[in-house]
Amino acid sequence: MVLFRIALRNLWSHKTKTLIVGGLLVFGTLLVVLGQSLLTTLDQSMARSIVNSVAGHLQVYAADAKDNLALFGSFEGTEIGQIKDFPRVRKVLEGLPEVQAVIPMGIDSAVVFGGNVLDVKLEQLRAAEKQGDHARSHALRNHVRRIVVMLHQELKNLNGLVDKAKLTEETRQGLVDVERAAAKEFWDSYETDVLGHLEFLENKIAPMALGEDMIFLRYIGTDTNRYAKAFDLFEMVDGQPIPAGKRGFLFNKLTYEEQVKHKTARRLDRMRDRLAGGFQLATDDELKNWRKLNKDQHKEITYQLDDDSAAAVRKALQAELKSSETDLVKLIVAFMDMNDQNFARRYKLFYETVVPHLNLYSVKIGDTLTLRGLTASGYPTSVPVTLYGTFRFRSLDKSAVSGAANLTDLNTFRDLYGFMSADRKKELEALEAKSGVRAISRDEAEAALFGGEGEEVAPEAVAVTPTAVEAALDPTEGFDEFAGVDMATGAKTHGASLADLTYTQAQTDGGVVRNAAIMLKPGVAVADGLRAVTLAVEREKLGLKVVDWRKASGLIGDFVWVIYVILFTAIFVIFIVALVIINNSMVMATMERVREIGTMRAIGAQRTEILKMFAAEAVVLGTVFGAVGVGLGAAIVGTLGYVGIPAYVDQMVFLFAGPRLHLLLSPTHLLFAWAIVYVVAALSTIYPAYLATRITPLQAMQDAE
Amino acid sequence: MDHPPAIVRLTGVDKDYLLGKVVVPALRGIDLAIQPGEFTVIAGPSGSGKTTALNLIGCVDVATRGIVTVDGHDTAKLSERDLTKLRLERLGFIFQSFNLVGVLDAFQNVEFPLLLQRKLTKAERRERVMDLLQEVGIDQYAKHRPNELSGGQRQRVAIARALVTRPQIVLADEPTANLDSETGNAIVDLMEKLNDEGTTFLFSTHDPRVVDRAGRVVRLMDGRIVEDVTRRAVGASRIAQSA
Ligand SMILES: Nc1ncnc2c1ncn2[C@@H]1O[C@H](COP(=O)(O)OP(=O)(O)OP(=O)(O)O)[C@@H](O)[C@H]1O
Ligand SMILES: [Mg+2]
Repeated sequence: MVLFRIALRNLWSHKTKTLIVGGLLVFGTLLVVLGQSLLTTLDQSMARSIVNSVAGHLQVYAADAKDNLALFGSFEGTEIGQIKDFPRVRKVLEGLPEVQAVIPMGIDSAVVFGGNVLDVKLEQLRAAEKQGDHARSHALRNHVRRIVVMLHQELKNLNGLVDKAKLTEETRQGLVDVERAAAKEFWDSYETDVLGHLEFLENKIAPMALGEDMIFLRYIGTDTNRYAKAFDLFEMVDGQPIPAGKRGFLFNKLTYEEQVKHKTARRLDRMRDRLAGGFQLATDDELKNWRKLNKDQHKEITYQLDDDSAAAVRKALQAELKSSETDLVKLIVAFMDMNDQNFARRYKLFYETVVPHLNLYSVKIGDTLTLRGLTASGYPTSVPVTLYGTFRFRSLDKSAVSGAANLTDLNTFRDLYGFMSADRKKELEALEAKSGVRAISRDEAEAALFGGEGEEVAPEAVAVTPTAVEAALDPTEGFDEFAGVDMATGAKTHGASLADLTYTQAQTDGGVVRNAAIMLKPGVAVADGLRAVTLAVEREKLGLKVVDWRKASGLIGDFVWVIYVILFTAIFVIFIVALVIINNSMVMATMERVREIGTMRAIGAQRTEILKMFAAEAVVLGTVFGAVGVGLGAAIVGTLGYVGIPAYVDQMVFLFAGPRLHLLLSPTHLLFAWAIVYVVAALSTIYPAYLATRITPLQAMQDAE
Repeated sequence: MDHPPAIVRLTGVDKDYLLGKVVVPALRGIDLAIQPGEFTVIAGPSGSGKTTALNLIGCVDVATRGIVTVDGHDTAKLSERDLTKLRLERLGFIFQSFNLVGVLDAFQNVEFPLLLQRKLTKAERRERVMDLLQEVGIDQYAKHRPNELSGGQRQRVAIARALVTRPQIVLADEPTANLDSETGNAIVDLMEKLNDEGTTFLFSTHDPRVVDRAGRVVRLMDGRIVEDVTRRAVGASRIAQSA
């Protein structure tokens, strides 16, 4: 058709303008193709990461939960209640044809070890004393006392690990000091010489706590063996799975490396990885910072060395440094002052000669670690549990998101979480009435009741020291931190027997479960599964909320949507700009063509024909440049799909579900992008086309030349 | 006089232009009838209203008062759409500055009105266009774009375009104004020849030499007809006259 030809010729004769407009359209199309592909791929890979590591396809939790479930954290609270009658839930849901497995969970956090806060607390205590703020001083004093007692406890543990005779003089004296500070007499006499006591704590005790970080753990209390089977990214790294029915703990390898490993060794590992990534000590600030920390934190090493091992390390370092220096600290500082040339050698040397004398992991596989946490009702608890091994989520090794998930058994979770159900509360009240005690520490009671599940535990759990109860009840003390300390000792005493207990599957299933992951059978779409499970939950009146993995994961699930919004805002802006430019240039072209269009009108072209001519231009623009954009986009996506986008930052590994993201090419995306270009071209033509139809044949008559 | 029905008739036509608040009367009390086959020139000094009159007849403007009928239709009563159709089917336009579509070649420019009409097949169009181009003597330039043609050649293309739909009347506003006198004469020769074949021509001009060759001269002055002379009957042989 001639109108088409005129359109083509018009575009051709305004080459520069057409190219600019076309460039914009191509760029926009490219972005749409790339963006969509990136997001879809990202969404899929993220789904894989989330679904197969922690969330499962669906999650169920109590319908009356106060907060929404957020597996990876959220701004809200985590009051998600508990599932009533989990065995029935499992029976009903696993009976569905869509469902592969239902895995019970209880997600919570705990702390292992105490430490470092001591400095801060002492500083605050000193300030409080200066201001004469008695209440504050009292609270802080209790806190400090608790920390010191914990430290004492930990040092006693350490004592058990290291031969006492081999300790350095300094360490031995430190132990004596801590023992003194942890004693009742020390705190009874605190008021008589406040400054003296403070000084003693600051100078003698605080340094002992150096390098003793608190390890904050997020853990999932679950049926670990079912978990391992259901989540296909799960993989043991070291050690062994928790034996069936036993209590136990599994560290995520990443947490284990990041938090439990000796700090200096960990920093050297990180330096090695970063150097392997092409960075250089000479130029990279991060590397320099780690090197500086290694030099500054020499105590991390000396703290752990006894006389004999110190001598061995001294000798090795002297040889490496070709120095006759005898001061170990100076030697370590010099040794840690590494450069790009000697790093590899010294790294090896460190592991061969220094590490054997260190406690490379503060908790070793086979050790018992004491998990401390707060129960649902806010009381401190602690449960000793055996570390059986470490695991990882395949291809997500370096992702801190999934790496934050550690595993423990359900019974340990229940003890830490200390949830009390309604009927048990009644039981407790009856108990109180009978014994004539006004109130029992809820914690103690809870522990007793939960223990009661396995009969053997009950007597030990009840044997909580009376001081704990007193402390917890004393209104002047508030809910007391002492309770935690004493609970810890209490727990320790019954800890050994806890580890020996074996629970039946029924016992494991029967207790408190906060939420459960549902794995769907292969090939079942998440939406279908969600519908089926929701229906079953309603039919059987299970009282559960059912959410898909995206909703369950909290903030992270929304991540893709955030990128989506950002990207599409960008694309929107680009297209708006394109729209304005195309519109303007077309309006100008229309003005230049008034005579031509007027002539056509005079000759007998209807308005609709003029409109068609402009539509033809839009179609040509859209087709040609849309095709180029789509083609280019497809080529880039194809290439990136083949090569893969590397995950530059560890956090990206999780999103990418692996070290590289391989973009997927989908015809729908290409068509969608093309359609958008058409729409933009059409939209930007509307106004000039309208103007053109308003041109009268009279305007062709008027002499313009 | 005994006339066949007029193809164009203006009855008591006034045309006022509004220049801001000032009313500019461009035509006053025009009564004019054009018979099929006439070769009429509207003459008159600049500003006398020649273009205005042609615009009214060409259905691209409307009279302020009075009636304009073209091919029996009162143009004031037709819709925009029907007016356009009337222009396409009944009228041919030749513009002073040719007004060819720059991006189309000579052939395509001439073919354009046929495409709008959607009546002929491609082959028929081709034949019609090539015949016309041959007749106006530029068939060898069919593939040339307007900017590759001389003024006279362009005007020939424009004439071919005006004639291609075989309109009943061809309107031309000073078709020779942008041409040198030699080319101008050649163009008038061509129009006379086509007039002999039956097309009605109505055009305006300043040029006294062109006026001399017209069959009928309508002279305007300040928007009024001051003279209306018919020198020869419709279809009368100019060959006889020039001999
Ligand atoms: N669009 C307009 N607006 C206002 N006045 C106009 C307009 N067009 C023409 N006129 C006025 O109408 C009168 C007739 O103009 P017209 O163009 O018809 O004269 P013309 O005989 O064609 O002149 P020329 O020989 O210069 O082309 C003139 O006085 C002119 O100024
Ligand atoms: Mg004029």
